Amino acid sequence: MSPATHEALRLTGIPEGTRANLAHFDADIPAVLAEQLHAYGLVPPHAIQVLRQQPLTVVLCEQVELALEHEIAHRIWVEATPA
Amino acid sequence: METSAESTRPSPLADNEAAAAAPAGLVVALVGHPNVGKSVLFHRLTGTYVNVSNYPGTTVEVSRATLKIHKEQQVLDTPGVLSLPSRSDDERATLRALLQENLNCLVQVGDAKNLRRTLTLTALLADLGVPMVLMLNMADEAEQRGIGVDDKLLAEALGIPVISGVATRNEGVGALEAALARAARPEPLLCYDDAVESAIGRLAAQFASDVPHAHLSARGLAILYLGHDPELEAWLDQHFPKTAALLAALRLNLEGEFTGLPLAALLSGERGRAAEALTRTVAREGKKPASGKPLTAGQLAVHPVWGWPILLGVLFLLYEFVGVFGASTLVGLFEEDFFGGVLNPAFTELVQNHVSIPWIVELLVGEYGLWTMGMTYALALILPIVTTFFFAFGILEDSGYLPRLTVIANRTFAAIGLNGKAVLPMVLGLGCVTMATLSTRILATPRERLITTFLLALAIPCSAQLGVVLGLLGGVSFGALLTWAVCILVVLLSSGWLASRLIPGKRIPLMTELPPLRWPVLGNVLKKTGGRLKWYLVEVIPLFLIGTFLMFALDKIGALPAIIEAGEPLVSGWLGLPKEASAAFVMGFLRRDFGATGLFAMTEHLSAIQAVVGMVTITLFVPCIASVMMIVKEQGLKVALVLLALIIPTAFLIGGILNHLLRLFA
Repeated sequence: MSPATHEALRLTGIPEGTRANLAHFDADIPAVLAEQLHAYGLVPPHAIQVLRQQPLTVVLCEQVELALEHEIAHRIWVEATPA
Repeated sequence: METSAESTRPSPLADNEAAAAAPAGLVVALVGHPNVGKSVLFHRLTGTYVNVSNYPGTTVEVSRATLKIHKEQQVLDTPGVLSLPSRSDDERATLRALLQENLNCLVQVGDAKNLRRTLTLTALLADLGVPMVLMLNMADEAEQRGIGVDDKLLAEALGIPVISGVATRNEGVGALEAALARAARPEPLLCYDDAVESAIGRLAAQFASDVPHAHLSARGLAILYLGHDPELEAWLDQHFPKTAALLAALRLNLEGEFTGLPLAALLSGERGRAAEALTRTVAREGKKPASGKPLTAGQLAVHPVWGWPILLGVLFLLYEFVGVFGASTLVGLFEEDFFGGVLNPAFTELVQNHVSIPWIVELLVGEYGLWTMGMTYALALILPIVTTFFFAFGILEDSGYLPRLTVIANRTFAAIGLNGKAVLPMVLGLGCVTMATLSTRILATPRERLITTFLLALAIPCSAQLGVVLGLLGGVSFGALLTWAVCILVVLLSSGWLASRLIPGKRIPLMTELPPLRWPVLGNVLKKTGGRLKWYLVEVIPLFLIGTFLMFALDKIGALPAIIEAGEPLVSGWLGLPKEASAAFVMGFLRRDFGATGLFAMTEHLSAIQAVVGMVTITLFVPCIASVMMIVKEQGLKVALVLLALIIPTAFLIGGILNHLLRLFA
């Protein structure tokens, strides 16, 4: 999977079913939150798939299914990859 | 499936005749992410069973036992760590073990299908300088998804033995036992960038000269310290107070050299990238991404529409199994048919024929008899209910449904200042509030733990009590049961809402892993049910006997009638219950379910309104003694006393209001 060069979007703005590459986190993201996201495998520029946006954002990162409240997902920027 | 790979580097343990001749008191610690099978492996290695479930946070304390093949060697099962430096209480417990135990080996237990994530943690553990073995568990799930790991290549890269296996099927466990003797200090997975390495180097030099540690390397300590690990800081303050101040000044100075992301986040990001690079080298990417039935079912369980009917279905099945089959069918068989019809008459006759002292006869088989009340309550009423509940709960735990419940419940819990994760202790509290109070450690902040502990103590009935409630009110009418449930729910949510506004602090948004849905393994569910029943009965039977004896003594010295008379204005006047119900509240001081059982025994004398009011009041009444002790342990004596001072008047207040409302409208 080669990362595409698209503009970065917030994770909460990505439709369900979309594959995307992690771009970066908000600059003011708390350190502990960034560490936790890294620990779950959300390390830019890794690929993820958005499974759900309601009631929470649920993403699949390799084999890890992770539910994120919108407040967290909003701080994550991704680049959508072509289907 | 079972494979092992070895590095060619000499092992520090091998130099010392390996684990087979390890000095007494040495310790192997199992560490790894939550929900990767550490506790199953612990059971396999030691024969000691600790609770095992398919959701993160099952283990909240360190467990210790000896290795089956070598009794001198201790094994520690540590709570799962999402990452290190430690942030949560369970991560702190693990780091405390790393700092304070006489470790001669670390076994990192990883999820074979999530190698990149596993290696991100390996990258930090490798810098600690302790001999390691890497166990890649759940190799079957990796294989199903087409993921292959070249163990030999990975072992060479890390310089430690790497074992693949499936702990639940005992695959790879023998290879792991053998590999313990060949544990080796790992190769570092990465060099951080020059500026970071320079900062680590300066801190490590200070650690090496001023803070000698028996087994952790100065570099590892420096990396943890740069990440502001609170457990390491506490350890330094306790053992090296002067150096702690020096180190803090040096760290502050070093941090001033960096801009942008904090150093801890910078380091964790670099470890993640190093893990990714190594994963690409040693693993074959899954050809079959997790898109089969378990994922589809898992997605339905968190669907904003379908998630609710699924939850209602689960609750209905739980009610049918515990409330109808356990509390009605089984209790009927045990209490009425077996104890009431066969055992108690026979035992009473035996005692009356062989014991000539009347008060001893009464103590054993009288109205407040140790057998006819204490043991009958514990075995005939409570045992069938808790058995069915623990079995059903074990199935839910193993299935992986509970973490999905946190997603569904998140919005509701947001209203009371918590996130959906708090649903786990609450659901666990429906089994045993004492265990649930301990499990509040999975919550991230002291504020969340305090609110959840309060709500558990106030409004969550344990399985025994729940069974009694279902049995009594189910027999009255569905409306009575519904009234009780709505009342408890309203109290739970309004108390939580109030507590969240009175207790200072911010709500933490939910971030949780959703493990794959799995078919529960019957053997594990039965083992877990057996373990919990044993724990429960060991706690319950002595307390029921003590409680019965107190009731007997109070009755004999004439105090019980006096208490009943004294309680009449409150119990009869305010709550509208028969004055004899005072005895149930006296019993409730010992255990809520004991009190509820006391009311259950009065069923014939209670109207529908009295049954609902009695059950609501006793549900909200003081938690059992064991729970109070656990609250003292987790929150301190002062908080425990404040909670009790809030809970007792609240129970009577709500009960009285409900009584008057029901009488007004019924």
